[in-house]
Amino acid sequence: MIKSQRRRATSIVRYIVLSLWAVIAFFPIYWMVSTSFKPDTQWFTWPPVYFPDPPTLDNYLNVWFGAEQYAATQYSISSQKPLISLGNSAIIASTSTLLAVLFGSVIAYGVSRYKILSEVRMFQLLMLRMIPPIVIVAPLSLFYSALGLLDSMVGLILIYFLTSLPYAVWMTKSFIDEVPREIEQAAEILGASRWRTVFEIVLPLIRSGLVATFLFILILTWSEYLLALILTKTQVTTLPIELSKYQGSTEGRVYGRQAALAVGITVPLMIVGLIIRKHLARGFSFGMVRR
Amino acid sequence: MARIELCNLEKSFGAVKAVKDLSFTIEDGEFVVFVGPSGCGKTTTLRMIAGFEDPTSGEIRIDGRVVNDLEPRDRGLGMVFQSHALFPHKNVAQNIEFGLRMKNVPSEERVKRVREVAEMVRIGHLLEKMPSQCSGGESQRVALARTLVTNPSTFLLDEPLSSLDAKLRRELRAECDRLHQALKRTFIYVTHDQEEAMTLADRIVVMRSGEIVQIGSPMEIYSNPVNYFVADFFGSPSMNLVAGEIVQESAATRFRSPAFDVVLPENFKATKPGAVTLGIRPEHVGVALGDNGDVELPVRLVEPLGKDTLLYFDAGTERAFIAVTEGLGMAEITAGERITLSLDRRRIHLFDTEGRRIGGAR
Repeated sequence: MIKSQRRRATSIVRYIVLSLWAVIAFFPIYWMVSTSFKPDTQWFTWPPVYFPDPPTLDNYLNVWFGAEQYAATQYSISSQKPLISLGNSAIIASTSTLLAVLFGSVIAYGVSRYKILSEVRMFQLLMLRMIPPIVIVAPLSLFYSALGLLDSMVGLILIYFLTSLPYAVWMTKSFIDEVPREIEQAAEILGASRWRTVFEIVLPLIRSGLVATFLFILILTWSEYLLALILTKTQVTTLPIELSKYQGSTEGRVYGRQAALAVGITVPLMIVGLIIRKHLARGFSFGMVRR
Repeated sequence: MARIELCNLEKSFGAVKAVKDLSFTIEDGEFVVFVGPSGCGKTTTLRMIAGFEDPTSGEIRIDGRVVNDLEPRDRGLGMVFQSHALFPHKNVAQNIEFGLRMKNVPSEERVKRVREVAEMVRIGHLLEKMPSQCSGGESQRVALARTLVTNPSTFLLDEPLSSLDAKLRRELRAECDRLHQALKRTFIYVTHDQEEAMTLADRIVVMRSGEIVQIGSPMEIYSNPVNYFVADFFGSPSMNLVAGEIVQESAATRFRSPAFDVVLPENFKATKPGAVTLGIRPEHVGVALGDNGDVELPVRLVEPLGKDTLLYFDAGTERAFIAVTEGLGMAEITAGERITLSLDRRRIHLFDTEGRRIGGAR
């Protein structure tokens, strides 16, 4: 086989493999979206229905707005309050993420420039994150109950902030390391104070990296389940907890409703991703590009 | 006004002594060039003056005032970095303006000063551009302008031209010289390029392994190197250095090596017999077309440079023995030809086995 043919064959095989992989990866998402538009009769049918026929908004209206006529159906679930959960999730995830990125970048700056933590300490910091949450969640709930933090927003924000801080430090440090010292020193000798240098020079230069870090941590906190399950009861529920209520309840598996809720959980992340996509490409490829 | 004194300055990084007991005074308005091979401590010295490195011991005084504990921004200095260190997210005008903003200069005044300085280094047309859109030479001019605008008492320049190509280097070298003449400020310039040092400096400080080897005007350094290292470092093509020995014979002091047997002038009379290295600059080697020369050597290579011609001879040493001759006539000499050479006696240098100069040279 001559070279150009071989190259062509390789390329065809590559496309086939990648296409198959894409189908496997995207099928669950497709299934979720499609199910969310299916009337209840098509949730379980065999052979499966790939395209809802006819498509309906019933699931969305029932789940998100609890509209009378839908709430009254046999699939209504008494405790549902997804809009409140959406608000809780938004506040808890964004606040804890912001705090983590803010404190993380300050610590990272100290580590990068002043070596306030040794290599070993930095790895220990990352090790904290390696502890499976299941190990700490039971003792933590005792602490929380003693401190009155159980089933409170502050409690969840605090634990999310603390558990994502190591990521924030590690990620932002790698971005700060990329900023040449000489650029900071140039600002300093031109009369800028340390704080001014950080705010006028360093932070704008690592903006894309901060945004990438923010999204990364936001995804983690937005979809966190175990800690939220144990540390909250009825006062503060987040969307992942809400989602679990549609499964295995006495009414059976309400796939359509669950899918409609799941789409609602996914969309906000996608919107955030779209808004900041310009930064993401730069942030995630930071340091891989030769300066 | 800025007179900078370095007193017993030392800097160690762990067990490594980067700068050893350095004492030296830079006079107001002087253009001083620190030169030496990489790792000789020249940049560390500059960074200590700037305030980016704390001396391990010793003092730095600016106009008599000890500045060891002053922040870089409080020392009244300006610095141009090797990497130019422009702020990538600010355009050229904002880069230049930065120092003025930090000093709370009102905005109309800032705009005016930025324009003036930009004109001065001929980058008036670049003000709206981003640093990434500027060429290497342009970036360097922007870096200069950014420093100029704050009107510092002293300019610190850390290998500012090393990232540029040869033609631009010459151009910007002239620019630095012009600025120094015009501003009459103190300039401290660090480079590893001996040519830059020779052309720019009022005084050159030659450094090696953290120590000052020699201080002097470019001509002093060139004509009277204190040791083998300085002799070899300065000059292009570099000085011919031939290992051999001193022999006292019938009232004459002679230098002998496999290729050479030269009677040394009076001033070397007291030299003890033993191993030495003879040094002579290529321009002090005469091509004698008659027979009355010192040595006859075969030509290895002829390099016509236009005005001059470089002749490389085989002297039985690893490095060729070089002679510079004026005129193109010499370009017709071919490799392999044997040529008689005469050494200008007054320009001979001798170095002992430690590399130190032995008597003689003026």
